[in-house]
Amino acid sequence: MESSLDSKEMMNRFLAEVERRAFQMAKFATRNRDEALDLVQETMLQFVRRYSIRPQQEWKVLFYRVLRSRITDWYRRTLVRRKILAWLGRPEEEDPEDPLQNLPDTGNPDPSDHVLRQEQRGVLEKVIRDLPLRQQQAFLLRAWEGMDLKQTAFVMKCSEGSVKTHYSRAVHTLRGLLEGNRS
Amino acid sequence: MNAKDSEELFLEKVQGILDHGTKNLGSRTGQRLEEIRGQALMAAGEKRSRFFPPRHWVLVGSFATVALAAVGLFLWLSPSPPPPPTGEIEDLEIITSQERIDFYQNLDFYRWLGSEDNHLRPNGKGL
Repeated sequence: MESSLDSKEMMNRFLAEVERRAFQMAKFATRNRDEALDLVQETMLQFVRRYSIRPQQEWKVLFYRVLRSRITDWYRRTLVRRKILAWLGRPEEEDPEDPLQNLPDTGNPDPSDHVLRQEQRGVLEKVIRDLPLRQQQAFLLRAWEGMDLKQTAFVMKCSEGSVKTHYSRAVHTLRGLLEGNRS
Repeated sequence: MNAKDSEELFLEKVQGILDHGTKNLGSRTGQRLEEIRGQALMAAGEKRSRFFPPRHWVLVGSFATVALAAVGLFLWLSPSPPPPPTGEIEDLEIITSQERIDFYQNLDFYRWLGSEDNHLRPNGKGL
C-alpha cells in the first residue's frame, strides 16, 4: 500500500509527522516561535531538495541532521549578535510568547487535568530550554524521538560516547530539577 | 523499584508531557507549519519537474541496456562474411600504401629492366 503511494504524498506524510516535534525542538533551542518556524522552514526546504530521493527509512535521521545543523548555525549567529549588542550596550530582544498557545484545549474532557498538564509542561519546557544545547539535543533525540545511540551520533555529528555523556548529564539534570521542583 | 525502572517511568512521563504540548501548539502555529510544508513540497515538485523523475531515469537506463543487448546479440548471431580472396587483399595494400600509383603500373617494366641489367652485367659493375 505504502509503495503504491506517490512520492510526493509520502513526503507530505513524513513532513506532517515530524513538523510539530521539529518545531518544538527548534523552539527549545531558540526560545522564540518565529525563529523556530524559520528554522523548520529552512530545514524542510533543504531536506526535500537534497534528500527526497533517498530511501524513506533514512528520512528521519537525515531530517533531524539538517534541523540540528540549522539550529547550530542559528546558535552561532545569535552568539555573535548578542556579543555585538552587548558591546553596543543595547538590551537583548525579548522572546514574544504566542498568546494563542495559552488558550484552553477544548478537546480535553477534564479541565483540571489540562491545567495540571499545562503546569507540568511549562516547568518541563523551561528546564529543557535551560539545558546546554548539546545536552538538549541528545535528550530530545534519544528520549523523545526514540533514536538509538548510532542514529543520535549521526544526527549530532559526534561519537556515540559523546551522545552517552550528553544524554546522561541531561537526564541527571532534568530529574534533579523536576523532582526538586515537585518537592 | 530499581533505578532503571524509575528512570523509564520518568522518561515516559516526560514523553507524555512533551507529546501533549506538541498536540496543542495553537492554531496559528499549526497553520503556519502546514504552509511551510506546502512550500517545501512545491519546491520539491519544481526541482523534480526540471528533469525526469528518478523512476523515469531507471526506465530510460533499462531501455538503453535492453537495446544495447539486442544489438550485441544480433551482431553475434549474424553469419560472418566469407574471407576476401587474396587478390583483393593485395589490391587493398596497393591502394592504402603511400607509394605513387604509377609505380605499380610500371612495376612489370622495372622487373624486366632489373632482369635485363643483371643479364647484361653479370659482374654487377656499372657502365
